[in-house]
Amino acid sequence: MLFIDYSSAFNTIISTKLRTLGLNTSICNWILDFLMGSPQAPAYHLVLEGILILWIIRLLFSKTYKLQERSDLTEKEKEDLIEEWQPEPLVPPMSKDHPSLNYDIVTGPPSHKIIVNGKECINFASFNFLGFLDNERVKQKALTSLRRYGVGTCGPRGFYGTFDVHLELEDRLAKFMKTEEAIIYSYGFATIASAIPAYSKRGDIVFVDEAACFSIQKGLQASRSFIKYFKHNDMEDLERLLKEQEIEDQRNPRKARVTRRFIIVEGLYINTADVCPLPDLVKLKYKYKVRIFLEESMSFGVLGEHGRGVTEHFGVNIDDIDLISANMENAVASIGGFCCGRSFVIDHQRLSGQGYCFSASLPPMLAAAAIEALNIMEEDPVVILIWFRFFIFMYDLVNKYFQIDSYSAVKSVIGEVYAPALHLQLERSSGSRDTDVRMLRSIVDYCLERQIALTLARYLDKEERFLPPPSIRVVVTIEQTEEDIEKAASCIREAALAILK
Amino acid sequence: MNVGVAHSEVNPNTRVMNSRGIWLTYALGVGMLHIVLLSIPFFSVPVVWTLTNVIHNFGMYVFMHAVKGTPFETPDQGKARLLTHWEQLDYGVQFTSSRKFFTISPIILYVASRHLEQEVTFLSIGFRYPF
Repeated sequence: MLFIDYSSAFNTIISTKLRTLGLNTSICNWILDFLMGSPQAPAYHLVLEGILILWIIRLLFSKTYKLQERSDLTEKEKEDLIEEWQPEPLVPPMSKDHPSLNYDIVTGPPSHKIIVNGKECINFASFNFLGFLDNERVKQKALTSLRRYGVGTCGPRGFYGTFDVHLELEDRLAKFMKTEEAIIYSYGFATIASAIPAYSKRGDIVFVDEAACFSIQKGLQASRSFIKYFKHNDMEDLERLLKEQEIEDQRNPRKARVTRRFIIVEGLYINTADVCPLPDLVKLKYKYKVRIFLEESMSFGVLGEHGRGVTEHFGVNIDDIDLISANMENAVASIGGFCCGRSFVIDHQRLSGQGYCFSASLPPMLAAAAIEALNIMEEDPVVILIWFRFFIFMYDLVNKYFQIDSYSAVKSVIGEVYAPALHLQLERSSGSRDTDVRMLRSIVDYCLERQIALTLARYLDKEERFLPPPSIRVVVTIEQTEEDIEKAASCIREAALAILK
Repeated sequence: MNVGVAHSEVNPNTRVMNSRGIWLTYALGVGMLHIVLLSIPFFSVPVVWTLTNVIHNFGMYVFMHAVKGTPFETPDQGKARLLTHWEQLDYGVQFTSSRKFFTISPIILYVASRHLEQEVTFLSIGFRYPF
């Protein structure tokens, strides 16, 4: 061990040099104490302290830098790239018969008889399942509300945008669906798109059906979670994914404990018009400990004895489903959407639901209209049963027409027997989506001339994850009579024969 | 941002160590720890300095480098869920002033304890040889 003894190292400094500089004795003595504080220090102490002091100085003078931004281009290369760049036109060139450029104009309300391009047609296109759009009671209630509250609320729920009608509607929806609490959103699309990212964050895992609608896809995109798609209504595929996840979890149990897992399904799928197998899903939920979010936009007011949706239809206990989300723009003929479930779950959305906190609340007259629609649904559940048989009728009819004919291979009917909205797809695609769409559009035009209003199912082609094949969507509502449905079915058949050959 | 004011910071953890008065609070906190340890009668001064160093380093390690995420929900869907506080500081910008401060502070604490455990007082001239 090397020792340095410097007890006499500073002798000359103190006695001669410091005194000649004129420093006073006590300060000299203090300096002497400081310098002589450790006169017999091991060498490595001094070396270590020297290194530390140098390290401090180095840290003090180091530059701040960000980790990612390091571009390896020289100035000249940057200039060259900027000069080469040609801006793309704001509006890309497109053909004259693009659907966005030729749209049908509706005059008046889209009720049972709809005026399309000046011609009055029977409406087989709007989702007015229970006919509440034209219902006198609903209209009167809305008008009274309009006179009382005005039109808009001019504020989100947190800034004086909460009216008594909102609270009443939430209360009524919770009671109707037999859950603890409900929350209202002012835009149907934003309902599920706000609900998903409120619960599912980065690092969480979501298992979604491939046929999920666009709003669910946007909600998943906003959530930044890991998304795993399973084949449409294929419980074995879902179970395979869940098993893989279980194996992953066992490999890293600490991470698994903080990861949330969700299954998101729709009650009645808008893209394929069939129903999810809810009892099997509930079994999987309890086996693999995942939470179920059910999107019931199409099935609310349609399925179940009283219109409570797919849970009532299958007889599943509503408490087994963690969150039910629906929009009120279909059967209820209002605007907006709601989520219902346990208070513990729904309360979270009051601060975390982006569409709830940051959008203006639902106009009170629409909330009043929704309350009245709920009243009618509760008073007269027979209303729902009546058109149940309309669907069956329609389905049989369409099937009958298309099976008798040798052109039965021309179009196929997609959808469940009791689905209110069916899809008619081409059995054999011509190869290009454009030609398919054009053919279907000509069928729609043929029917429009004969006063049947149909529509093509529209998608954002580039944004959809699993783009469904082009189809005509036929909606059966309670206001259509049997003759209307016969007329529509025969018209579609003639159109298919004439155009599809 | 300063703690207690309205801010638009997505993750307040990134700005806590830049708030007004936090460095002073930290220094005073270490000082308080030292004084509390000094009040325990059966620790000698060098032992107390050693303990201050150890407890300070252990505490800083746990809070800065061991605990991950944020104690509150952030509006960015949990970007910082797997990051320690040190990684979250200033959104990952390296060698900012607070990072330098918290890198240098344990070094200074060590150097200071090495010098000050020898009971050199400024007023009196008495000193003691350590070992």
